[in-house]
Amino acid sequence: MVISPERLRMLEVIMKLSIDNASRALSKTLRTGAKITLSKIYMADFNEATEKMNNDTREMTGIIVNFKGNLGCKMLFMLPLEGSTILTDYYLRQPVGTTKEFDDDTKSVAQELGNILASHISNSLVSDFNAKLLPEPPQVHNDFAGIIFSSLVMEQGILCDQLLLIETIFEICRTEISCYLFLLPELASLEKLLDAMGTRK
Amino acid sequence: MKRILIVDDAKVVRMVIKQILTRNGFQVAGEATNGKEALEKYKELKPDAVTMDIVMPEVDGIQGLKDILAFDKNAKVIMISAIDQRDALQEALLSGASDFLVKPFEDDRMVSALNSIFNKK
Repeated sequence: MVISPERLRMLEVIMKLSIDNASRALSKTLRTGAKITLSKIYMADFNEATEKMNNDTREMTGIIVNFKGNLGCKMLFMLPLEGSTILTDYYLRQPVGTTKEFDDDTKSVAQELGNILASHISNSLVSDFNAKLLPEPPQVHNDFAGIIFSSLVMEQGILCDQLLLIETIFEICRTEISCYLFLLPELASLEKLLDAMGTRK
Repeated sequence: MKRILIVDDAKVVRMVIKQILTRNGFQVAGEATNGKEALEKYKELKPDAVTMDIVMPEVDGIQGLKDILAFDKNAKVIMISAIDQRDALQEALLSGASDFLVKPFEDDRMVSALNSIFNKK
């Protein structure tokens, strides 16, 4: 599938708006400046994308959310283990450094932040795309980046050899956390919605 | 003191809601992690009100709301969700929810929602 430059531009603007919305919700939840910015949106070869993630050898916390509705979509928010302990401290309003390791609280915070991000992204997409899109309960994984990423893209990879990837950068006030936020819309349903919006193929 | 049942699949969210409630003169009747458990706990504990998340595994919050209201038509259930979409709001309110809070929210918003439903006769 080829997405025309006009459609990619439109997607970029819509995704920026939804990510801004999610970013504001995250800041309010953590009561600190949290900023997620769209870094790039592109069609990626399945194997190349997986190989790129395999090269990141950090142990990560990954939160995968499936969406139900007429726009099939998946989200992966992935951050290094030490990042998830920092977010736990912010969420629980305790000094950064209090949480030393990944435990039940850290997992629960990751689950809740994934839920807030996914919900606010879907809120924007629903109004901008006139889509039906509701997040399902998040699944939290602890593993290497490549393994978590593979579990996200496996189904899409079976269906086609290309993916629409939306990459973002995440920063939190006073503490820079290098994270990934990937959104993988299901291409066939995305195309139908773009058709309905009147964009050129 | 009014007793509240907290329903949310995320442990930390239940912790935060519990803190807000106890700081503001409410008592936590119990906790549940999905809509199915919510109905069981509601029958067992008979709380004065329920705070109910929407996106939960097994039985979601909308179904949990419907099940509780089928058991007790006077139940007071406040929905809490990060989903801020007209369809979800409409479904919750038409199903009988007393109020709808969008996460993240200020503590005062939850307190005023509870006070408001208890003051309605």
